[in-house]
Amino acid sequence: MGAFDTLFQWAFLVPLFPLVGFVIVGFFGDRMKKAEYGGWVAVVLSGLAMFVGILIAIGEALSPGTYTDASYTWLNLPGTQSVFSNGFSLVMGTLVDPISALMLVVVNVVGFLVMLYSIAYMHHDQGLPRYYAELSLFLVAMNGLVLSDNLLEFFLFWELVGVCSYFLIGFYYEKPSAASAAKEAFLVTRVGDVLFLLGIFLYFATYATSGGGAGWAASGFKFTNGNTPFLGSLVGSASSPTLTIAGLMMLAGAAGKSAQFPLDVWLPDAMEGPTTVSALIHAATMVAAGVYLLVVVSLFLGFTADDRLAIVAVGGFTTIWAASMALVNTDIKRVVAYSTISQLGYMVLAVGAGFAMVGLYHLFTHAFFKALLFLAAGSVIHAVGTQDLLKMGGLRKSMRVTWIAFFVGAMSLSGIPPFAGFWSKDDVLASVYSQVGAHPLYWPFLLCAFATVFLTAYYIFRAWFLAFDGDGSRDASLPHAHEAPWAMRLPLIVLSGLALVAGLFAFVPSFANLLPGAGVPPTYGTTDLMLSATSVGLGFGGLGLAYLMWGNGRVFTLPADSPLQPFRTVLLRRYYVKDAYDWFGLKAVYGLSRAADFVDQYVIDGTVRGIERAFSQLSDAGRRLQTGVVSDYAAYVVSGLVGLLVFLLWIAPWLVRSVGGG
Amino acid sequence: MVPILSILLLTLLGGTVLTFASGKQARWVALGTSIVFLFETFYLLDAYTAWPGRAGLYAVPQYSFSESYAWISLPWLHINYTVGVDGISLILILLTAFLQIATVVYCWTETNRPAAWFGLVLLTCLGSIGVFIALDILLFFLFWEATLIPMFFMIGYWGGPKRRYAALKFFVYTHVASIVMLVALLAVAFYAHAASFDFADIFVATHSPGFPIVTQALLFLALFFGFGVKFPIVPFHTWLPDAHVEAPTGGSVLLAGLLLKLGGYGLIRWAVEVLPQGLAHTSWIVYAVAFASIVWGSVLSLSQRDLKRMVAYSSINHMGIVLLAIAVYSSLGLLAAVLLMFAHGVVSGLLFMASGSVHHSFGTRDIASLHGITPKAPVLATMIMVGSLASLGLPALISFPAEFAALLATWDRLGYWVVVPLLILVVTAGFYLWMMQRVLFGPPQNVPEKAHDLDVYETAGMAILVALIILYGVLPGFLVNVIVNSPVYGFP
Repeated sequence: MGAFDTLFQWAFLVPLFPLVGFVIVGFFGDRMKKAEYGGWVAVVLSGLAMFVGILIAIGEALSPGTYTDASYTWLNLPGTQSVFSNGFSLVMGTLVDPISALMLVVVNVVGFLVMLYSIAYMHHDQGLPRYYAELSLFLVAMNGLVLSDNLLEFFLFWELVGVCSYFLIGFYYEKPSAASAAKEAFLVTRVGDVLFLLGIFLYFATYATSGGGAGWAASGFKFTNGNTPFLGSLVGSASSPTLTIAGLMMLAGAAGKSAQFPLDVWLPDAMEGPTTVSALIHAATMVAAGVYLLVVVSLFLGFTADDRLAIVAVGGFTTIWAASMALVNTDIKRVVAYSTISQLGYMVLAVGAGFAMVGLYHLFTHAFFKALLFLAAGSVIHAVGTQDLLKMGGLRKSMRVTWIAFFVGAMSLSGIPPFAGFWSKDDVLASVYSQVGAHPLYWPFLLCAFATVFLTAYYIFRAWFLAFDGDGSRDASLPHAHEAPWAMRLPLIVLSGLALVAGLFAFVPSFANLLPGAGVPPTYGTTDLMLSATSVGLGFGGLGLAYLMWGNGRVFTLPADSPLQPFRTVLLRRYYVKDAYDWFGLKAVYGLSRAADFVDQYVIDGTVRGIERAFSQLSDAGRRLQTGVVSDYAAYVVSGLVGLLVFLLWIAPWLVRSVGGG
Repeated sequence: MVPILSILLLTLLGGTVLTFASGKQARWVALGTSIVFLFETFYLLDAYTAWPGRAGLYAVPQYSFSESYAWISLPWLHINYTVGVDGISLILILLTAFLQIATVVYCWTETNRPAAWFGLVLLTCLGSIGVFIALDILLFFLFWEATLIPMFFMIGYWGGPKRRYAALKFFVYTHVASIVMLVALLAVAFYAHAASFDFADIFVATHSPGFPIVTQALLFLALFFGFGVKFPIVPFHTWLPDAHVEAPTGGSVLLAGLLLKLGGYGLIRWAVEVLPQGLAHTSWIVYAVAFASIVWGSVLSLSQRDLKRMVAYSSINHMGIVLLAIAVYSSLGLLAAVLLMFAHGVVSGLLFMASGSVHHSFGTRDIASLHGITPKAPVLATMIMVGSLASLGLPALISFPAEFAALLATWDRLGYWVVVPLLILVVTAGFYLWMMQRVLFGPPQNVPEKAHDLDVYETAGMAILVALIILYGVLPGFLVNVIVNSPVYGFP
């Protein structure tokens, strides 16, 4: 019993408040006198959720522990001969522990700020009630996911956040590109999801039969048993091909949700949704769910060494893969989106190297500075009505707050001290470095991560210079920009503050309890300082290069005949991966379907029709039967029945008796 | 003891007769009958506290509320009126009750010979209920055939332009299968020297040690064909898309929601339970057919242009998963199969209603010529979305727990073969999402002037199904606890 158990048992309120918001706004939002009223209802309810979430986090910080409340037996499944011999129940409940408390803070603080920001940002949009209903539903699902106490419940909410993301990417559903992006996001993550489901089967089956697992199955596959992981004794020690595959399936699920290579294509396209949605779902929370899954699995179920290498490889490679595509993009939102993929790669890398808490640390700081970058970008888009960086320019004069906010976000993203991103990114690099001695195969991926620091600073400051520097818009047709209204400025200011100090929270004694275990806060020995110096140097290098190429002075530009230009095309075409996927979906699978349809109609059904034709040509009676008069068919039906009855009552028994001797 | 099952049948029988006779007021009679029937079903569920249990795997299963009266008694032939239910039949009776009321409400404004129409709707449900409660071969067969006739007329009279061809194709296909099924059932009874046509007697006879395995396997295959055509299984499935395209909306709902379930129910009760050894020795054939249906149904859905054809092919996919879950032959699998049948009944019912309304409102069901119907018909679009998301297995909606259990059972028995249906889930998501992208989203094009949203009856009919989809998706325990209170629990 922890000191705050009475508080923790109210954790269900966190998803419940937005659920109330969803019901009110979803069903009655259209009938309210003004569309904003529904919005305000949702804002207030998400504020309440944030309040409870923060209280829970404070409780966990003061007295860390695990509180579970297993309340509802969702499915009571019968046993089978093979694996689940005794049958098992799937029980849905809430799990409050330090990491879920941390996530509650992230989700609900960003959620509330985005909801508030949206009041102004979405002001002119049709379908405001729909927007707030879907956003509230997302918060329900995301909070449910964070509070899940078993893998299946986790999966359930995981799919629900996915479908909310689908709705919100396609919010402007009359735009073909938005409808297409929504579908793409759902489908690509779906690939990860079905593999995730397979992974769940594998864990269930493996642990349900092995030594300490029987109790686990009986518990409904809960993550924890009291204060310890249920499979505590098995984590790390168990190793079998099945477990390795199960871990890889978790990685596949995480890669889909967190847009890791090769399932990363959907996230840049998801920028078709409103910018607020990008900030909340596609930067701070939902895409981080994949990382959170890896954290949860590594804490409670355990990865094998091979899994870890695969995770490190995917994360490390994704950092540079996505960052490279951000180098040339001219859409302000897409640049930030690529940076999200890249930063998620850092988190995955850390979790893979065995430092789940370090990954979570970066998740925490990233949520704030990335939401800040998106909301600042949204403020810019709101003001100038375009997302094209090449058309903007000179906004620093008219949009002071946004200008500074974007700067804070960019510094934080680039990992420049003392901004939040520095502490966590530095910790990621240092932790992975500490493992390369034991695992030399981690080296190339660590180098990717280091190189990405340079690229990151370059592309984000390129965007900053392009948008805010210069004498004025490069495209004269853009409207005269004005600073955003207070409902947008306030979240920017709050998030700027968080992007400054969030990294330091880990050094506050109580708060550090939310990130228990290895590597947080960083220790800063000599090696660490050297690594920090390197990464900060790389960051400043990127910043400097961006200044030279895109800043006021424009010291140099890439000549049009530079040998680097072909790479530019490749990067803009996103390495042709999306083209390949489109080809696979539209040409290969759809083509196969068309071919199968032909076979179905002309071979399978054709055979049937051929038989039918043969019959009707064989006998005139057959043709006369098809008179097309319904009463004739009725007579046919009835006579068939009578015939059957005759057969049944007299002929069949006789037949059977004479054949079978009955 | 009250003969509640006979009362159930009589309610529907009386309702059907009255409906046929009541001219313009038929819909009220039909609605009244449906409501009474629904409450009787609730009573049945409430009274069905626990399955009486069974001594062992090979002991005769007990059925609740059973009644038995001698019907035809000859020295060499004993046919009884024997009825009884277990959890499996109860769930399907519940499905029938819900679908019946939803269909009656949805079709409320039917003006083309309403008495005949509503009478046939009730008759279809009557036949289905009979199939779900009959525990005698002849009785079972009579009800089985009784479902064909109303469906034949619904397609043939109220259907689309090619209705006669489709009706006849439907009838011939399922009729041929019925005959094979009947002959096989009779052969089971006679070869096994059953004392009567009663399920219990047949069960005892087929589980006696003297019944040769080869005979069991061959008879099982014959039954598999007989019931399988109704599923429908690949390659005997081509009647289904044609029948659906030509069938009126209400007919499609009952065809997909109920009649396909007869195949699944029949296979469980009259083939798997009766001849478990037969299944055990031919399971690879059943697996192959199940995988083929799953893959074929889903892949073909992708290239369909007609909304109804698309849903029809997705039915082949879903019923393939049902077949797979039956074939793995475990408690978990059977539970999943029954749950999935319920889920598919409700979801496909909703999707067929929505397709019908699209046709009614926009004049076409052609996916390629429908664009952006959402602004004109937001409620209809929402229904299509709920139906599609449920059908592709979104959690918190009804299909997910069923598919989860089915796939888990498959993993349990077949290991990594489960990857096939799992990856097909992506294709299933693909064709639904692609359909929604084209039909619901994008800028509106070719929208006729007179296009409109759902009327109140259409909305109400679909709302019943949507409520079920969400209710049983969030709380599947209601259904599961009934199903596990049945001989399913005695399975390996």
